[in-house]
Amino acid sequence: MPKLGVYDLAVRYGKLTAISDLSFAVAEGERVFISGPNGAGKSSLLSAIAGAVRAAHGRIEMDGEILSGLGPESIARRGLSMVPEGRRIFSGLTVLENLSVGTGMRNDRSAVAEDLEIAYTAFPILRERAKSPAGNLSGGQQQMLAIARALMTNPKVMLVDEPSLGLAPKVVDEVYDRLCQLQALRALTLVIVEQSSARAARVGGRMLLMRGGRIVADGDAASFAARDLLTEAYFGDAA
Amino acid sequence: MSLQLLFDAMALGGIYAVAALGIALIFGVMRLVNFAHGQFIACAVFALIVPSADALAVMGLGALPAPVLIPLILLIGAGLAVAAEALVFRPMRNASPVALMVSSFALGVALQNLLLVLYGGRPKAVSLWAELGHPVRIAGASVPLLQLIVVAAVVVVLAGLALMLRKTRLGLEMRAAAEDFTMARMLGVRSNRVISAAFALSGGLAAVVALVLVAQTGVADVRMGGQIMLVAFIATVVGGMGSLSGAVAAGLGIGAASALLQAGLPAEARPFRDAFLYGGVILVLLFRPQGLFAPVGAKPRV
Repeated sequence: MPKLGVYDLAVRYGKLTAISDLSFAVAEGERVFISGPNGAGKSSLLSAIAGAVRAAHGRIEMDGEILSGLGPESIARRGLSMVPEGRRIFSGLTVLENLSVGTGMRNDRSAVAEDLEIAYTAFPILRERAKSPAGNLSGGQQQMLAIARALMTNPKVMLVDEPSLGLAPKVVDEVYDRLCQLQALRALTLVIVEQSSARAARVGGRMLLMRGGRIVADGDAASFAARDLLTEAYFGDAA
Repeated sequence: MSLQLLFDAMALGGIYAVAALGIALIFGVMRLVNFAHGQFIACAVFALIVPSADALAVMGLGALPAPVLIPLILLIGAGLAVAAEALVFRPMRNASPVALMVSSFALGVALQNLLLVLYGGRPKAVSLWAELGHPVRIAGASVPLLQLIVVAAVVVVLAGLALMLRKTRLGLEMRAAAEDFTMARMLGVRSNRVISAAFALSGGLAAVVALVLVAQTGVADVRMGGQIMLVAFIATVVGGMGSLSGAVAAGLGIGAASALLQAGLPAEARPFRDAFLYGGVILVLLFRPQGLFAPVGAKPRV
């Protein structure tokens, strides 16, 4: 049984179809990149899995349990966490308060304290700025906060939407380093939207290529860079 | 400026601030301008007296001693608001903000007519805590004891709410939800819990306003909620929709300005006090259309 399974998924906004007939499965502990041009439906896919947008059709399962149709809070409570596009940190709350929002559903106080320590160790700047408003953090720091905040819910599966967006390459390196460390440490299953296939190849993992709301290719991220599948996805079959 | 005037200004501003806060709390978490808030206040007022169409009200719950009466009326206000949310607004959770606002109007009209059926349309004389009308002397000025109590009560309510929002888990969840509701849900925050809590607090604040109004005016009138709702709504707009501190500041400001204009304007200009007041409101909004303290994340949700 896959950790995360998506079957015949369709997402529509009014008459606009963002995703149709999309199926894939992710194994436990796997790292899967989702790449593709703008408007391919990558963010819609993550939002549908997290329950932020409703699927028009199809089924989403985690550990065999059906998630589609549940509200986002119920999905989060089952162990799926989201680092959304644009980070969406709570800018009026302090850094520590941001980290605490997702711990309300947990009863294991000592484990929460341990997770906070893990987050602070991975991103020392968050410990330093714990008491200051999150809105004062830089873009890279906000990205780190969004990742740490998702981690604090004690997820089994973590969805990360474009962590590199708007960040300097050096900061992106750091974000991915930490993400991979945390994945190993917490045995996370990661699904990451990443525009840059070169970046995905460098970090390593499986890659799904989306175009027009469907998956057009599925394989090892490193092998994509060599092939012209990417050109095909971006410029169409005529290229 | 006399001490008497200062307390008048603070008491009126405090009532407006508490009423505006009741509207801002709900707007903060679900982008609903609850126009039934005035009727929540009216219902809490009429809960004090026995249903009848007589001009002189017979005290029902209002006859209870204050330590029992105050929590009871607060509970009634909170319960009414929570019930309204569950019965009226929850089934429309995914409706547009405009549809929600129209239903809040409908709820307000329904509640007002329910009061009319039970109590008749005539305003009633209600005597609640009449002994608090005694003046006390402070620094040579004479101030009614009631004004002092009202100002103290407003301070306690505002401080208690601020503490609750800063220091409790529920407060944290409400602040997070007010900034980005969907994101808060994706972190496991239960939407029903947060929304019910916002309504309960808002209803409790409506009950505070109700008790103060009755004690000050000695009148129960089916229409009394509508007028204060108007001022409170203006205060939330001036303060910046969704900003709690903005609503409090603007409520205090409008109340204080109203009391000061009443005292300071020449006698022949006094009938136009509200024109001066709302002229000032228009000026503020011309220069800051988003309100004085526009919060982050108050943009309409897509």
